[in-house]
Amino acid sequence: MNDFIIILLGTTILYIFPASRLEAYVKTLAVQGILLFFLVIIDIKEINWLNILFLSFETLILKGIIIPYFLLSVIRKNEINREIDPYISQFYSILIGSIIFIFGFLAAFWSARLDAEIKPLYFGISIVMIISSLFLIINRKRIITHILCYMILENGIFLLSLSVANEMPMLVNLGVLLDLFVGIFLFAIFFNKIQQMYDGNKIDILTELKD
Amino acid sequence: MIGLVLVFPVLLSIIGLIVKNKLVNRINLGLTSAAYLYVSIQKITHYEFYFLPEWLLQYFAFDEIGLFFFFVMTIVFGGVSIYLTFYFKEHNLSAVKESVFVAELLLFLAAMSGVILSTHLALLWVFVEATTLTSALLIYFEKKKSSLEAAWKYIYICSIGIALAFVGIIFLSIGTRQINSLYFNDLYNNANLINIFWLKIAFAFLFVGLGTKIGIAPIHAWLPDAHSEAPSPVSAMLSGTLLNSALLGLIRVQQIFIKTNLEDFSNFFFILTGFLSLFVSSVFMVRTKNYKRMLAYSSIENMGILFIGISLGKYGIYAAMLHTLSHSFAKASLFLTSGNILYLFKSKKIDDIKDLIKLDPKTGWLWIISALAIIGLPPFPIFISKFFIIKALWAKGVSWLAILFFLFIVIIGFGIFSSIFNMAFRNNDSALSDKHYNLGWQAYTPQIVLLIILFFIGINSPAFINALINNAANFLR
Repeated sequence: MNDFIIILLGTTILYIFPASRLEAYVKTLAVQGILLFFLVIIDIKEINWLNILFLSFETLILKGIIIPYFLLSVIRKNEINREIDPYISQFYSILIGSIIFIFGFLAAFWSARLDAEIKPLYFGISIVMIISSLFLIINRKRIITHILCYMILENGIFLLSLSVANEMPMLVNLGVLLDLFVGIFLFAIFFNKIQQMYDGNKIDILTELKD
Repeated sequence: MIGLVLVFPVLLSIIGLIVKNKLVNRINLGLTSAAYLYVSIQKITHYEFYFLPEWLLQYFAFDEIGLFFFFVMTIVFGGVSIYLTFYFKEHNLSAVKESVFVAELLLFLAAMSGVILSTHLALLWVFVEATTLTSALLIYFEKKKSSLEAAWKYIYICSIGIALAFVGIIFLSIGTRQINSLYFNDLYNNANLINIFWLKIAFAFLFVGLGTKIGIAPIHAWLPDAHSEAPSPVSAMLSGTLLNSALLGLIRVQQIFIKTNLEDFSNFFFILTGFLSLFVSSVFMVRTKNYKRMLAYSSIENMGILFIGISLGKYGIYAAMLHTLSHSFAKASLFLTSGNILYLFKSKKIDDIKDLIKLDPKTGWLWIISALAIIGLPPFPIFISKFFIIKALWAKGVSWLAILFFLFIVIIGFGIFSSIFNMAFRNNDSALSDKHYNLGWQAYTPQIVLLIILFFIGINSPAFINALINNAANFLR
């Protein structure tokens, strides 16, 4: 069952590579949040209610609902629909995406050989998510897409921490969550300001400061 | 004690935001400075007194090196909070805006103390990210187009970098399965149980992540923009304390390598990026036309010097600690003085500043003496630390690196000093030069005090500062 969910998570990444409508990105984020929620629920072995409550809040409520909804409202308010032509065309993006997937599977094999307790498929897909999000950030021009891809990066890191199954202290988890939440909030504030001040939202406009 | 350091600024910032009164803001700044100074003194004189719940105490502690960094932060923050009264007056801020500024600054300070005091690697990460979030709004405080650009680059680049550092932490937690803890003490005491393969991979990510925050060469893109666009007191805090606290995170990671006898692996990266930083800053220092950006490049240079020092063993680490302190004080003094210049000339271009020494002699001389301190002219202690590093490089048998190092610091010294000399002494024909300005004591006192402290450390360092530096240096072995 959880292998199936992991494969779905991988598919969301493949879906996002050629996507150009921004709402598609947001929906993908919501789907990823919900998939991560199911993953957490299936995986839980011992019943620690506090932990379950916390993790479901983090995945379902925050990653699945609040943050996507918030970003969607930002997108609608600013009336942006599409990503503009990326630096590398759609076709080559998919090609690069496939190469990242190959690398991810190789990483899964290596990790299984190096450490018995790692869940290889989790590990591989999380590496794919992290590298893909970095690639997407480099390739896309709109600032809002950068924020969306940052969320994908965070989801990838969350999956990576699930693959290791070493628990962090609760205080740390809380802190990480708070940072993520405030970070997204600040990103949106700055995005709105850039939109107002520069009358545009491409990365190319931020070139005033240089030597 | 730790409660005082972490909770106090947060509480005061909330109070300030609610009350929104100018007097309350100043009292808040004063109280926080006093509290930090109090904690520093108590800690230096070994007086233990905690008022934090027992379960939280395992996450925060003062160790020798943390105490040293905390002391440096206390002094710099004290200077900045005095200078702020001038900044507020000069900008004619409303009570609301002032309250927001002070609240953000105090939260920023609390986040940095969290970095310094954390005993758990992941908790340290949480606080490093918190420093980014709390300082981003400070950088954008003057609400200009350029400061918005700088703030966006800062928050985005640092967030990505810090996210990668978290990947490093996860990898490290795979490698430390037998210890099953990421508390620094557990890691140091059971270093032989760590899996070397995962430790090395984790280091790559942690180095890139924390290195982004430190502003080391290939990943320094945000630093000149943020430092030049932030309000001058904030620039002083960024350069004098924020870079240090991120550096402390990396030093704690390096300590794991020292305990596992793998320093050669990590030292290579420290030396490589250190020299790369020297190279980048020497190129841009000579080129740049903006004096605040010039100071920012100087910060990159000094972080490079610190990296080289850390990788050089006993003498190098001592030199690095001395350099941390001297750089923080001298750079804070420079950035605060640059705030005076910005007020007098309303321009950040080097070419626009003329005859500074006639227009406002105090600012002019502070500018020159601070520059001498950062270049490392004797008796200022940066001379000693740079000398030690050259000596340590020579002793290691890499004399060509020592020569290269010397060459870079000469180029950088020339770059800084030619600009600063021009700004101070170049003649101006206009009527402007007949006027004399006096900006009020708050605009000069912090820098004078910082420079006097540096002077005494260089001439004959007080015993307690010697002990602080020595203890901090002895930590890394």
